Amino acid sequence: MPFDPTTLDGPFTALAAFEWGGDAAPLGVIDAAVVAAHGDAALTADLEKRLGSVISGATSRAAKDYACRKLSMIGTAASVPTLVPLLTDPDESHMARFALERIPAPAAADALRQALGTVRGDLVIGMISSLANRRDAASVKPLAALLGGDATTAAAAASALGRIATADAAAALAAAKIQPGPVADAVIAGRLACADAFLAAGNRGSAQAIYESIAARIGDTPTTHRDRVVRIAAQSGILACLDDTVAL
Amino acid sequence: MAAPYVITSKALGDATTPPASDRIVIGGIGIGNMGSGDQGAFLGRSDVQYVAVCDVRRNWRDDGKGRVDGKYGNKDCAAYVDFRELLARDDIDAVHIATPDHWHAIMTIAACRAGKDVYLQKPETLTLREGPLMIAAARRYGRVVSGGSQRVLEDYRDIVNPCWSGELGTLKAVDISVGGSSMPCYLPAVATPPDIDWDLWLGPAPWEPYNPGRCDGNFGTGGGSWRSYVDYSGGSLTDWGAHHFGGTIFAAGLLHLQPTTVTWHPASADGTVAAYITLVYPNGVEIHCNRPATLRPTDAKAVVAQADRGITIRGDGTAVAPVPVPAYRGTGGIYGDFIECVKTRERPFRDLELGVNTMTAPHLVAIAQRLERSLEWDRTAQRFANDEEANRLLDRARREPWTL
Repeated sequence: MPFDPTTLDGPFTALAAFEWGGDAAPLGVIDAAVVAAHGDAALTADLEKRLGSVISGATSRAAKDYACRKLSMIGTAASVPTLVPLLTDPDESHMARFALERIPAPAAADALRQALGTVRGDLVIGMISSLANRRDAASVKPLAALLGGDATTAAAAASALGRIATADAAAALAAAKIQPGPVADAVIAGRLACADAFLAAGNRGSAQAIYESIAARIGDTPTTHRDRVVRIAAQSGILACLDDTVAL
Repeated sequence: MAAPYVITSKALGDATTPPASDRIVIGGIGIGNMGSGDQGAFLGRSDVQYVAVCDVRRNWRDDGKGRVDGKYGNKDCAAYVDFRELLARDDIDAVHIATPDHWHAIMTIAACRAGKDVYLQKPETLTLREGPLMIAAARRYGRVVSGGSQRVLEDYRDIVNPCWSGELGTLKAVDISVGGSSMPCYLPAVATPPDIDWDLWLGPAPWEPYNPGRCDGNFGTGGGSWRSYVDYSGGSLTDWGAHHFGGTIFAAGLLHLQPTTVTWHPASADGTVAAYITLVYPNGVEIHCNRPATLRPTDAKAVVAQADRGITIRGDGTAVAPVPVPAYRGTGGIYGDFIECVKTRERPFRDLELGVNTMTAPHLVAIAQRLERSLEWDRTAQRFANDEEANRLLDRARREPWTL
């Protein structure tokens, strides 16, 4: 039986006034509508509009949190302009990403990428994290630019490039000029992740070149525990490249 | 003037304790409830030197340190709030992790990168995407990572033995009765007590106000504990499911497989027959999750093995060649298995990959239940085929500054 959108008026009124600890029963009606919206473009659009109004309105953090969760399931490119203003808000940024990270529309990735240059502090790491989870190849260049930034951001960018694992991402990591320390460790971890991805995709030549580069950098007599661990990873990778019976 | 260095008898070892150089140096992250149980198991071993605890709760941290110091008769156990400080110690060989589930992937990957072996309480994963990333980190850095589900061999012998002995014949279908998924949490704000670092407890989970019902550590899944809520746990479906699916998958020889189809059977229109899910594995074995008793086959030819916790395995009854049941390595159950593998670098009984495969089953069930529809799972791509909405539920955004 088609979902009757008029039954949503009351629950959305309740949602607009919702606070943690409040009556959550009306939210159950919206939950059911979100499930029922599968394959129903009209209901999806109606829900998206209603949820967007909650996000844009003078509503509580709890109400916006809930609306973002629902948009993460059914949101489209139409929701992106509603979510973007939240990205710069320290209280709301994460839940905006909660939705944007899952919305498959390219506009969602564009918004996250653009926010790399507009948000500050930990919020930048949030954008990096979401772009990495999307394996957004278009983010390689802006992420590479962050490798020269503060240590926390640079380490996150290096990890993200390892998750994206394109040839460009691997090249950006290889070109990074980083002093020894946590960022350099993250760059090596990112490079190893790229090599593993190349190997899994059958691109043994590219994988082996990265493993050998890292092994050469560590040398045969690593002096720190961290270097010993990295050497294990690089040598195992080289073996796997040379012998396809060796699995990583 | 520096005091002379004294080598103690404990450092040298004795008839029952290996010398310090032969002991596995361990720290624990998440040291309440299951963490304290895990700690006790490791602390009781003569081949382990327990040196550090980490917990965001002061009381649990202090209690955990107290247990270690009491065991060794000194004050040497370090206590940390932030797991990254513990992982930064080069002298620690391995960690056990028993935090709420939303921390498992981040901590396991960080531990592997830091060169630590990991004993990770089940359920190993909170989302489907986490598993392959955790496995990749373990394999990349050559780490031993064991899941923590002791029940597979210890509580499910009555289904394991008939399967592996060949008595059941070719396996056909399994029925599992297991609890439901986790739920949203709308508990009100309560003043945060001083003994918990609430921001660090939440970590990658969405910020929500402190309430003891969110983070209490009991094992309930019906509300009022972290295992009840979707941001921190998969609920009973993945908590007990880690045991039930683990026991089943081990017994049925499905450890290296993942389901290919997830079929949603809706409840009957009159409400007399409840909804249930069927998972089909590539070898044709079906696992029915909460199939109503009235729908289960009553074929007299079938051979049935039952575990007392709601698992029924049916085979065709045509005896097949027996296969020896794998055993834990070392001594001391699953904990001893892990320690032995840390020494030998073998893969443990509940190797992370097997744990991830196990947890894939209840995660797929949870998503099909949530969406109320059938799904097709592409193991290679680790995505659902032809269902972008289901693919949205593969993972979730982590709160900054936490990343996978």
